[in-house]
Amino acid sequence: MPTTPGPSPAPRRSPRAGRLGRRGSPMLRLRFGFLLIAMVLSVFGGRLVQLQGIDPRSYAQMAAAEGVEDVVLPATRGEIVDRTGAPLAGSVAGRMVVADPKMTADDAPALATLLSTELGVDYFALLEKLREEGSRFEYVARRVPATEADRVLELVADEGFAGISLRDDPVRDYPAGDVAANLVGFMGVDEPLGGLERTFDAQLSGTDGHARYTVGSGHRVPLGERSVTKPQDGETLRTTLDLDLQWFVQKVLAEQVQKYRAASGAAVVMDSRSGHLLAVADVPTFDANDPQASPEEDLGSRAFSDVFEPGSVQKVLTAAALVDAGKVTARTRIKVPDRLARQDRAINDWWDHGTIRLTMAGVIAKSSNIGTVLAADALAIPELVGYLNRFGLGRPTGVGVRGETGGLLKSGDVMTSQEKDRVAFGQSLSVNAVQMTAAVNTIANDGVRVSPSLVQGTATADDGSVVGTDVATRERVVSTRAARQTAKMMERVVDPEAGVAPSAQVAGYRVAGKTGTAQRVDPECACYDGSFSLSFGGFAPADDPRFTVYVVIHDPGVDGGGGSVAGPVFSRVMGHVLTKYRVPPTGSAPSRLPVEW
Amino acid sequence: MSSPAVQIRSRVASLGEAAVTRARLTVVPQTRRRPAARVPFVFLVSVVLLTGVIGLLMFNTSMQQASFTATRLEQQAATMAAREQVLRMELDDLRDPQRVALRAQQMGMVIPSTPVFLSLEGEVIGEPTPATPEDGVRILPRPEGLPADLRPTVDVVEVPPAP
Repeated sequence: MPTTPGPSPAPRRSPRAGRLGRRGSPMLRLRFGFLLIAMVLSVFGGRLVQLQGIDPRSYAQMAAAEGVEDVVLPATRGEIVDRTGAPLAGSVAGRMVVADPKMTADDAPALATLLSTELGVDYFALLEKLREEGSRFEYVARRVPATEADRVLELVADEGFAGISLRDDPVRDYPAGDVAANLVGFMGVDEPLGGLERTFDAQLSGTDGHARYTVGSGHRVPLGERSVTKPQDGETLRTTLDLDLQWFVQKVLAEQVQKYRAASGAAVVMDSRSGHLLAVADVPTFDANDPQASPEEDLGSRAFSDVFEPGSVQKVLTAAALVDAGKVTARTRIKVPDRLARQDRAINDWWDHGTIRLTMAGVIAKSSNIGTVLAADALAIPELVGYLNRFGLGRPTGVGVRGETGGLLKSGDVMTSQEKDRVAFGQSLSVNAVQMTAAVNTIANDGVRVSPSLVQGTATADDGSVVGTDVATRERVVSTRAARQTAKMMERVVDPEAGVAPSAQVAGYRVAGKTGTAQRVDPECACYDGSFSLSFGGFAPADDPRFTVYVVIHDPGVDGGGGSVAGPVFSRVMGHVLTKYRVPPTGSAPSRLPVEW
Repeated sequence: MSSPAVQIRSRVASLGEAAVTRARLTVVPQTRRRPAARVPFVFLVSVVLLTGVIGLLMFNTSMQQASFTATRLEQQAATMAAREQVLRMELDDLRDPQRVALRAQQMGMVIPSTPVFLSLEGEVIGEPTPATPEDGVRILPRPEGLPADLRPTVDVVEVPPAP
């Protein structure tokens, strides 16, 4: 600004003099004004540099974000269905009801009354949440069916309350409750906590989508920003289970477990030819819609996770191996003494007898330990173990169920001859129920072991393994002739005169089966604790097997054997599955193999 | 000295005269320019402008309307989809084998224990046996017993044998 002397120096000399004195000299005012303008302009200039020079992006973004809504489009979780497509687990649109305490605090009591009656949530907890200081987001209720939530929100709006809003929150529903819950598992609040839900979560969960659009007073602005990434819904997981059959097996098994005051039980139904698991029942089990009501140890599948000594059902595997190796036939005569002294301890039978003369078929039909050990003497240890390995013992079935225990079978080179004797009739090794089902099914399937499967097609488990019917394996274990002959021996087990388990008979059909009564091992002391595992495994029709059923009942409070406790469950389940899948009796003559000589 | 100059000049003059006579230029007659009528033009421009503005306005309005309709229809679709899902869930719940079995049991029906088939030729395969209530399967769990604390304790008093 130029500082030339002003045109009228007179007022400068005497500023307060004359009428100019009140407003000051024009030059002074001008300078003052310029200074003011310069200051204001420099503030603007500074602001301009700040906006454009230092951080231009954030302001541009803020301007763009004004009125733009970013919404997550949740992917629908895939269903888990049975073999007919009936859902075991399904997803429905749901909402979470959320509150903004800043807006709800004033009306909290009235709002809490309304919401607690409509949504069934606790009044006092809700009141606390609605008054939460410093919070702008509180859950009122989660996983509310969409129609229900919309109705409640309308009601809230009608009453004139503010601060309640809805967000997407899909609901997982298990229409059949406890049916197959042991396998399907259940969902926690945000993630799967067990069973197939968790194992195949990657396939089921899908990928959430996003939508961005400009909103003006609740409506989308037509030419505003708009981008949509559609959600990728989860894929359906199709299982081989049969919902109705699974229900029936669970009921029959539960009735027997309660009747005999047993600790637990498991029953498996398998399609003999394809290896599909049609039902895997566990008792006790839980309601998938309310898993917290059951103890934690019931939240899985004992048919896969519990291992036990198979007991005498194992004898049919030994017999099949012996016949396949050409060591015995069904008519081989064996002289069975009252007790058999072996190195470390004597082997007894379950019933007292003198020296009796049984055929191999009789050994199986009467379930003689001594007879089995004597017959198995013809087979070397590695040979027997090799057969049992091929039957699938000692390794997990790998059907894709979490927490499966593979059981225990010593390898041939470390097994002692005493252990081999016991393994021959089902002690000193452990199995799970599904493993044993697949092993017995090998005999039903003409000597070819087909690996069990629970998932139709293929699916990738969370450990990276691919499971399913498409990757099921078939492996010949014993010859067709050996399998047929073993099946004929097993038919004698359910014969009212020759065998020990007439209650496992299915009227009108030829049934092959084997009972098992095994002492239970207490894992803490690694000794027999005096309780028993009673089992029955078999298939029908014996001459053209279609289904294999295996039932095991652990630690019954009432005395009984595999035939009397597990047998009736087998019979009932087998009768039902034969009816359901319309398998008529074959009408051929039953096995008449001699049991004595 | 000047004769050739005079000659040239006369030649030039004659040349110029000839050229002038040949190209007798006349002034272009000045046509009277009628001023163009402004009214139609202004009218046309106004019409175009007005149509443009009104068209734009109407287009905008219709887009807004469409947006409102879209929002409404989307909401309606979402509500109906949710309704469908809830109905489907209800249907699945109704199809629950436990519920069906309970209803059937209330009607006095029993799950048969022995399979029997009737062939198309009228032949009965299997042994027809009437289903009795004993064949029924327990559908509801047994009632839980009293918890141990509530069970009355039984005091056993041993009476000494009479002497």
